[in-house]
Amino acid sequence: MKEIKKFAILGANGTMGSLSGGLFAQAGITCIFFARSPEKAQRGIENAVKQARSDVLREYIIPKTYESLEEEIPQCDWILEAVAENLPLKREYFRRIDGLRKRYSIISTISSSLSIEDMAEECSDDFKAHFMGVHFFNPPGKLLANELVFLPQNSEKLKSFVADFCKRVLMRVNIAVYNRPGFAGNRIGFQLLNEAARYAEKYGVEEIDYLIGPYTGRALAPLATIDLVGLDVHKEIVNNIYQNVQDERHDSFQLPEYVQKMLDKKMLGNKNREAGGFYRYSEKKEKYALDPLNIQFKSMKNTKHEVIENIKTHIHDGNYKKAVDLIKYGKSDEISLVKQFILGYISYSYSRIGEVTPVEEGIHGIDRVMSYGFSWLPPSAWVDYFGGPRETVKLLDKYDMPVPQHLKNTPEERQCRIPEVTKYFVAH
Amino acid sequence: MKSRVYILGGYQTDFARNWSREGKGIQAMINEVMAGAFADTDIDPGDIQSIHVGNFAGELYTMQAHFGALTVNYDPALRGLPTARHEAACASGSIAALMARTEIEADIHDLILVVGVELMKSVDSKIGGNYLGTAAWYEKECVGIEFPFPKLFDRLYDVYDEIYGVKYEHLAQIATVNYENAKKNPKAQTRNWYMNKKHACSSGEYNRTIGRRLRATDCSQVTDGAAALFLASHKYAEGYAKKHNLNLSKIPYIQGWGHATAPIRFSDKAEEAKKSQYVLPHTRKAILEAFQRSNIHGVEDISCIETHDCFTITEYAAIEHFGLTKPGEGFKAIEDGTIELNGSCPINPSGGLIGGGHPVGATGTRQLLDAYLQVSGKAGDYQVAGAKRVATLNIGGSATTNVVHILGSDTNGS
Repeated sequence: MKEIKKFAILGANGTMGSLSGGLFAQAGITCIFFARSPEKAQRGIENAVKQARSDVLREYIIPKTYESLEEEIPQCDWILEAVAENLPLKREYFRRIDGLRKRYSIISTISSSLSIEDMAEECSDDFKAHFMGVHFFNPPGKLLANELVFLPQNSEKLKSFVADFCKRVLMRVNIAVYNRPGFAGNRIGFQLLNEAARYAEKYGVEEIDYLIGPYTGRALAPLATIDLVGLDVHKEIVNNIYQNVQDERHDSFQLPEYVQKMLDKKMLGNKNREAGGFYRYSEKKEKYALDPLNIQFKSMKNTKHEVIENIKTHIHDGNYKKAVDLIKYGKSDEISLVKQFILGYISYSYSRIGEVTPVEEGIHGIDRVMSYGFSWLPPSAWVDYFGGPRETVKLLDKYDMPVPQHLKNTPEERQCRIPEVTKYFVAH
Repeated sequence: MKSRVYILGGYQTDFARNWSREGKGIQAMINEVMAGAFADTDIDPGDIQSIHVGNFAGELYTMQAHFGALTVNYDPALRGLPTARHEAACASGSIAALMARTEIEADIHDLILVVGVELMKSVDSKIGGNYLGTAAWYEKECVGIEFPFPKLFDRLYDVYDEIYGVKYEHLAQIATVNYENAKKNPKAQTRNWYMNKKHACSSGEYNRTIGRRLRATDCSQVTDGAAALFLASHKYAEGYAKKHNLNLSKIPYIQGWGHATAPIRFSDKAEEAKKSQYVLPHTRKAILEAFQRSNIHGVEDISCIETHDCFTITEYAAIEHFGLTKPGEGFKAIEDGTIELNGSCPINPSGGLIGGGHPVGATGTRQLLDAYLQVSGKAGDYQVAGAKRVATLNIGGSATTNVVHILGSDTNGS
């Protein structure tokens, strides 16, 4: 259909802007890195070079400030927007781009939370016809998921060109998603993360991260993940979903009050090491966990539960079925809580089929985004390990979880198509 | 008459994984590769009669030896079987396959599982580099030397350069082709890495010189991984084909093999090189043995090669030693595209050790699995069209242990 010879990224100074722009440079495409100052644009280039681990990338990237939009945008075949998650700001940039871009050029946004349609509302028909969401995950060099959010105005030809380009040239794993708050990945992922934050009020930060830790099929425990993402970003994502979505787990998206108190104290997580987040490290690298009741840090207790340690040992030895059986048949309070989280994840994921991903994809679209975007064991792999759809439905019933129609209707066969999902069981 | 030895398939783990980061040990890797192999071939563990494991340095990397015994943990049906672990540095996986083949040819067993396995990311690169030194004559060649192996292969580079002259751009092209092929292989370690010839020719922070001359892009990877294969007698293969509705004439079998050991010390090899038409005469000997046992004329009868590219210079040597060019003219097969995926004799369609990864004890087994996939038309995006007969060359140490296998079928394709 078209050739992408020249590409522009707006917001090239930010992490996602620079790293996403870097993917286009890695494909040998000339990239204009736009930022507010030459220094910021240069910082973006350094990020992209570091991601590719090659100085050769510099040959493909040109740093510019927004003062050069008029000169450069008319020559660009693809313009990717990665400025701050602020609707009026994005609209302002899109208005400028609309007046400058050549016809048929592609415009995409990397936004993970705002409505794609709202962003382009004030733009021309040709702009809307070529505008879409292309949502990479952080860091895109390691996480390959790409949520593609197409608009009704996008032609089939354009959609298939973009999907093919992302797959073949940018080496992304595409997931077609609908224009719903949080799309598929953040909707499902942050449901669990925020629920973990809510439970931390009762069980404590350290205990929740221990119980719902990496051995439950994730690279990082949930509250440590929020620290990595940033509490400010977490708030933005869950608030947007809480305000714009009504579903069976609506309450679980409400930001806990103590998290707001943390934000008031500038406790943003890893990006503010001094103030910390759910965790803080002393100068001597000693780790402290937050007490949500008084927003103070306390020493780690490192309490272990025998059954959890046994599960981890099975994972360490590659006996995944035995590990999951200890969860499936366990009756202790700790295991009941673990099961509640895992079953909640399965239930919530299967219930979103048709709402966030096309119904014809079944669970496979959600599986791809949770594994390639979050590094979590995909929901259907849990169903397989629990013994198949019927066995899982029985467990959901037992735990008073909503039983999704899609799971009920699923044939009794292996669900997960992601290769080597065992890698998502982490024995830490 | 000796039984033909068939390969019924197997499994390779994803070589991009870091098992230490996943908190997993060597038993998990063995369990996973065996589970994958049994699932992909639909073979019943109860049918296995013997197990051979290739592993280089489990004692160093994981403080674990006795790998044959670990395989029995996978399924109670395997208890009581004869098992053994074999070590010949980077050729360990091929040696395990050679032993399995011998047991079938000797009519001792009908179905044998071969597993190659290595977990290497358990230690940092300097410690791991030192462990690799045990594949050379450690006390004579490696004591006190950081990253001894790139330095040993630098000497091979020197020998070549001295005798024939070698241009670095040709080595860079070898690396580029391997990375390019790896992008098509869903199990390759570097499949998502940034790489092109410009990068291979660059030097600096992101492409450091590791030895004296060889750069990071000339080196194979530090890899965690395993590969497993089933070797079967004619009798078992016939029953297997019938049960699975397969055409026996399309199932790959080992047509020939060669096995030759050079003096372990590189300086002794360098002396030999001066007296021989070939820089690595024992590598050439193993290749010729395999051609002879396969009853083929030479490389013109080979569709593609999975060779040992622990370093780019090793593949450079393989080009000539297989006979794709005359000695000293390996560059011609690089320049004219012979070795590329769509060339007349592609080398390392899988990405090899440089692009695919090099879990030392698993490499020989992985090469045989890739040869099986090519001959049976199951290599997916890295399939060489019409691959009929595929050769593997697996090298241990500084071209010390050389093992060649040639796989083919009576009629090719899936």
